[in-house]
Amino acid sequence: MIQKKICLLGASSVGKTSLVKQFVEGIFNEKYLTSIGVKVDKKLVSVDNQEVQLMLWDVEGYDRYNVFQEKYLRGAAAYIIVVDQSRKTSLLEGLDIHTLVRKITNVPSILAINKSDLQANNLLEDDEINQFLKLFNRQFNTSAKTGNNVEELFQAIAELTIEGD
Amino acid sequence: MDSTLLDIVNSLQQIVLEVVDSSTGEVCYVAGDSKWAIDLFPLLNKQQSFIIDEHTPFLQDFIIDAQQVWQGDSNTSVKSGFWTEVTSDKTELHLEATAIRHNDRNILLIANLAGEFKARQTTLQSARELLLSNDRLIEQNEYLHTRILAILKNPEQQNDMLLSLTKAIDNAGFSVLITDDKFNTTIENPITYTLFNQNRDSSGSESKPIDLILNLMKSQLPEFDRIMSTKSEWAGELCWMLPPSTLKWLKVALYPVKNELNEIRHWIIFINDISNVKYLVQKNEQLAFQDMLTKLPNRFSFWQMIDQKITDNNPFYILYLDINKFRSHNEYYGHDGGDKLLIDLSERIRSILKSSDDIARVGSDEFAIILSNVNNQHECRVILERILKCTNNAFISNQGENFNISLSVGAANYPNDASNVEELMSFVDLCAYTGKVKNKNSIQFYSQSIKDASLRVIELEKELREAIKNQEFELYLQPIINLEQNSIQKAEALIRWNHPEKGLISPINFIPEAEKSELINAIGHWVIKSACILAKKLDDNGYRIKISINLSPSQVLEENLFSFIHTCIKKYKVDPDLLELEVTEGVLVNDYVTAEKLLSKIRAIGMTVSIDDFGTGYSSLAYLKKLPLDFVKIDKSFVNDIVIDESDKAIVRAIIAMAHNLHLGVIAEGVETEGQLSFLRKTSCNAVQGYLYSRPIKYDNFLMFLKSFS
Repeated sequence: MIQKKICLLGASSVGKTSLVKQFVEGIFNEKYLTSIGVKVDKKLVSVDNQEVQLMLWDVEGYDRYNVFQEKYLRGAAAYIIVVDQSRKTSLLEGLDIHTLVRKITNVPSILAINKSDLQANNLLEDDEINQFLKLFNRQFNTSAKTGNNVEELFQAIAELTIEGD
Repeated sequence: MDSTLLDIVNSLQQIVLEVVDSSTGEVCYVAGDSKWAIDLFPLLNKQQSFIIDEHTPFLQDFIIDAQQVWQGDSNTSVKSGFWTEVTSDKTELHLEATAIRHNDRNILLIANLAGEFKARQTTLQSARELLLSNDRLIEQNEYLHTRILAILKNPEQQNDMLLSLTKAIDNAGFSVLITDDKFNTTIENPITYTLFNQNRDSSGSESKPIDLILNLMKSQLPEFDRIMSTKSEWAGELCWMLPPSTLKWLKVALYPVKNELNEIRHWIIFINDISNVKYLVQKNEQLAFQDMLTKLPNRFSFWQMIDQKITDNNPFYILYLDINKFRSHNEYYGHDGGDKLLIDLSERIRSILKSSDDIARVGSDEFAIILSNVNNQHECRVILERILKCTNNAFISNQGENFNISLSVGAANYPNDASNVEELMSFVDLCAYTGKVKNKNSIQFYSQSIKDASLRVIELEKELREAIKNQEFELYLQPIINLEQNSIQKAEALIRWNHPEKGLISPINFIPEAEKSELINAIGHWVIKSACILAKKLDDNGYRIKISINLSPSQVLEENLFSFIHTCIKKYKVDPDLLELEVTEGVLVNDYVTAEKLLSKIRAIGMTVSIDDFGTGYSSLAYLKKLPLDFVKIDKSFVNDIVIDESDKAIVRAIIAMAHNLHLGVIAEGVETEGQLSFLRKTSCNAVQGYLYSRPIKYDNFLMFLKSFS
């Protein structure tokens, strides 16, 4: 069986853990509980009739209390930058992280614009988003709460890792 | 292993493994067989060696870091950081591994840090909830502020302004009030009443929300008078109490909306109830007295420090440091960039202060310092200059770009200037504000004359506003003589103020103040419009004379400047070839990106651009090469002694040669003698202006001068 390491990166409280929890266990918890360190979850997906074991590295959000650590990306086959669509700074922080990652690896990446269930408040203009999309292989508007596009997101990242082989 | 030691290892919630083969990550049991340890590594039970593999992928990855330690020569160790494993019975283990090399033995220690993990999570939970709520607040405020401004500043585009405002603010998650210039409420959203525990429909004896806020500001802000008299914006926290049991912390932002004459049309007030945030902060005592970003004491803590110093009754100085143009910095580099600057700056300043001095972050871009046991201005100035010097080196943005900043500093002494906290803080705030020079460091000590000067500025601003309304300004023209053709092809437009009582006032006596009051844009527009009219009039009289218009630094930053110039050109039907913009070196250095954009557009429509006062600033050849320029004007200070001073001669020769290499024309300013003219001719200077030919003169006199010259 093929195994692929996928890192979920982003600012704190954008919903990285919730996305993994929704994908792996089908659960969403309304209460925000901040992650500390790293937790690795596994889930099997199928790509072109072959099974791929995704090793999902849910990395503590980067902010002024936790700096970017490139060692967590060692061996990653792809990564997902998660941002919160209701918080513009999370997009800018996500892009900063993306820039840092690009200095050490060129593996595929997806931008997950999470919390699509929340009322859009125009903090992210379409133009702004469009400028940044070209930096990523793909982009999904996701909601860990409703499950919208969560399966699609992880399926797409699995496919990208296989395409890269 | 000794059973006592085993008990100790188990009670410490640890597993000790000895490395059998560092290259494969094979380890064997030494000590630690708690239930969680067996759950994690079932082979521990059999006390067999095993390989750290993909069952614990985080640990497997850590082995790569560990190998650096195990395969080295020295006694050392490395930690993995926290990670979480889930056992077969769904228990979450919060672990940290340490790879150790000691006396040629390689050890892997795994600790179950449930307690430490929980403590860290609790602290960070509060801190991150604070960050989150702060981020949301800033974003919502900015968004709504922009939207309301757009409505208020373009009333003609709104069929029903009140309806547009209602739509914009009704669903805001915080209180929004919009008032007229006298703080009479025009509109407020429903949440405003909820916030102040009022019923919208009741018309009882309750104070209006706007009055409540103004009273809180008056009683809690030493800088309130300065904010009102200078029509400044303000943001900060206020505490509102309603006996017997209500206490709310409010985050308030006050924004003035001004017209072109710098008159207040409206005030926009945002009020957020941040009592919950305060509660979170108070849960963590450290956060209550500390600025989360810079880790410095916060405003509240700083006031307590001053109070204590006053009680001790030893003399001290208070310094108030304000970062110039912090808002533009935030707009350019984003809030993250702004945060980084605040952290970097606070660290630089802190590193040069004595341990007996105190520094705090007292506002969004303001720091305050107590210099203990400093009781004379000279000593204080020496320290201040050291502080400013440490900020001279470039800062680095998150994107790796270098940039420079400048500070406005106010200073006041206890007990000579004031003897209580409120007055001291209010005086240093006034000093920092009064001394502000755009893009330059400034130091201002408190004195009675500062207070008087601030009143004079308010008076001057009022007079300038009247001057614009009563058309008391006039443009004078100073001819610029082309030396090759001995003809007048250009004139510099210079503003004069015909004051009804004080007579003719030179720009040096009012432009610097106008720059501070933002009236500069209105005056600048008047100059551009008048220059267009004069150029057209001269053209109609058969004189193709280019009029050169001085642009002040703030005008370069004005958003609509280009479109204003373009509109004037069309309206007055003037040939753009007959107009030139003059900008100073400072503008180019400090606002290179903005200046470059503006000047490129200006040249694209056919106008020319000259760089004024060349040689006095910091322009480098690199700047000149990159910028869209046509002429360089050599500053008068180099021309003055050009006949007798060898170094001035050398400088002027160099400037001319350099400019010609870059295909730029050269104009020498302040030419007053034949000797100067003769030198400039010999050095191939292209044009001159100065009293030798003519002072700046009125339009009619300029026409006569043209006739006589030709």
